Amino acid sequence: MGFLNDVVAWFLDPEQWSGNDGIPARVAEHLQISASAILVAAAIALPVGLFIGHFRRGTALAVGLANAGRAIPSYALLAILFAPSIVLTRGTAIDFRFLPTFLAMTALAIPPILTNAYVGVREVDTETVEAARGMGMRGREVLRHVELPLALPVILAGLRTASVQVVATAALGAVIGGGGLGRYIVQGIARHDDIRLFAGAAMVALIALVAELAFALLQRAAVSPGLRAGARAVPRRRTLSDGPQLDPADAR
Amino acid sequence: MRQLRMLALGALLAALFGACGTGGGGRTPGTSPGTPATGAPSASGAGATPGETQATQPAETGPAATGPGADVPPVRIGSAGFYESALMAEIYAQALEANGYQVERQLQIGPRDQTMPAIQAGEFDLMPEYIGSSLEFLNEGAGEASADSEATAERLGEVLAESEISVLGFTPAQDTNAFVVREETANEMQLEQMSDLAAVQTRLTWGLPPECETNPLCGGALSEEYGIDFDSIEIVELGACGAEIATALDEEAVDIGELCSTQPDIAQFGFVVLDDDKGTQPAENIAPIVRNDYLEQVDREAFAAILDEVSAAMTTEDLTALNVRVGVDQEDFDVVASDWLTENGFVVEGE
Repeated sequence: MGFLNDVVAWFLDPEQWSGNDGIPARVAEHLQISASAILVAAAIALPVGLFIGHFRRGTALAVGLANAGRAIPSYALLAILFAPSIVLTRGTAIDFRFLPTFLAMTALAIPPILTNAYVGVREVDTETVEAARGMGMRGREVLRHVELPLALPVILAGLRTASVQVVATAALGAVIGGGGLGRYIVQGIARHDDIRLFAGAAMVALIALVAELAFALLQRAAVSPGLRAGARAVPRRRTLSDGPQLDPADAR
Repeated sequence: MRQLRMLALGALLAALFGACGTGGGGRTPGTSPGTPATGAPSASGAGATPGETQATQPAETGPAATGPGADVPPVRIGSAGFYESALMAEIYAQALEANGYQVERQLQIGPRDQTMPAIQAGEFDLMPEYIGSSLEFLNEGAGEASADSEATAERLGEVLAESEISVLGFTPAQDTNAFVVREETANEMQLEQMSDLAAVQTRLTWGLPPECETNPLCGGALSEEYGIDFDSIEIVELGACGAEIATALDEEAVDIGELCSTQPDIAQFGFVVLDDDKGTQPAENIAPIVRNDYLEQVDREAFAAILDEVSAAMTTEDLTALNVRVGVDQEDFDVVASDWLTENGFVVEGE
């Protein structure tokens, strides 16, 4: 267990917590890259996914795009984008190492968000949608008031998957000199420093887990109570013979 | 779909068979039946060849058409896993073949932790080595390699003698760490040697490898010998000698980068190599290392002379140019090697 002791000691060393190469700086960079990629990917993929799911058009295109996005290895994308990115970011405030990572992570995040958005909307019970239409709701209202809330669990699941993947894979950016927690991994390998390597990898995994848990909580909070897994379709009626009961709402 | 599958399978098999074609041929035993293995090398180092007993050393050893190598077992030549090493091995191989030796090639074996144990175990007889890195590998990083090529080669010879391996003559060419700038930068800031950097260090973006800080040859050399202050310079971390650092340097994302001195990118992009005036980098001349049990079966002096002549003609500029042909233009090793040997008069064209 000497190795783990060394790792703990590494984390406790105040030197690791200060400066440009310190843990807070690297974590911040990592979250920045991940968050911007996820946000942009969602901004692109959600509207497209909702459109496709609602109008039931362009499914083949969506499937094709999603599969293509999954098939392209992020590492290859980084290598391809490296040189063009230097040219593109010249004279701008954008770091040339940020751009390839950002683009590769966005490409990684789009497929799960897109797929889950259109599947989520498409899988909404057609009878429910019919009923809504029958009540006089127009298309856009149906999407906003019926399809979206019902599809929300699946959509959030897509965002959750995308986030965890992006947080975990953003470490790759370090291979082309980028920042984030991957720097510890790259340095650890280059310096034959197993402790640094392990610490970096552990931090990436930890943040990925935190992202997973955060989205789990978000899912619970955002989804209508009636739709949560385990909730009954019809609430059980209390009868006197059941004895003193808690309110069903409290019984969850 | 079925046809597609058959096609894919066929392509896979073709690729596998293709890969098997290159690389080492069958291994022959170290001695062939006709050659008595000499227990103790004679004072002059010449072994006995069947049919000839030489009481005295021949007065001169020059390239011979029938060759001292005509009746000896083939020399098995190995190399490390990258193209420069394979190229040098191919050059040595062809030079020996031109002198009547038979050669078996085992090129592109892998990194030094594979090749060194292999030659020590007798899996092959000869390979090109970089004297500095080789020494530091064998002495486990004891820091004995220095910028003095002679001293480093001598020390390497001492260490390898323990494994019954000899080091022959080394090349003027060195493939060592080099700090490199674009030509415009060199002109603008008047940079010729590493010592010129301290004055302009904050005006440059430094492309340094991730291990620089803890590597005495990088961070140590820069900060202690050349007065570079790591806290005040802007650093972009990219691995040394790679394509990324060369691209970043060429595209002006960094202004100074650590490359390898014979890297083809230097010739391609017209980079300027700054002279290591304080001698911080270890000598990395290339020399063939050869097993003694092979040398005992041949006329050692003749054998060494052939290779020494070839080594002496290989300069850093030559090697860089050859690397461009092999690494960038993707030409075959044997063609590039043969061209160089012909140009330098070691091989007569058409032979």
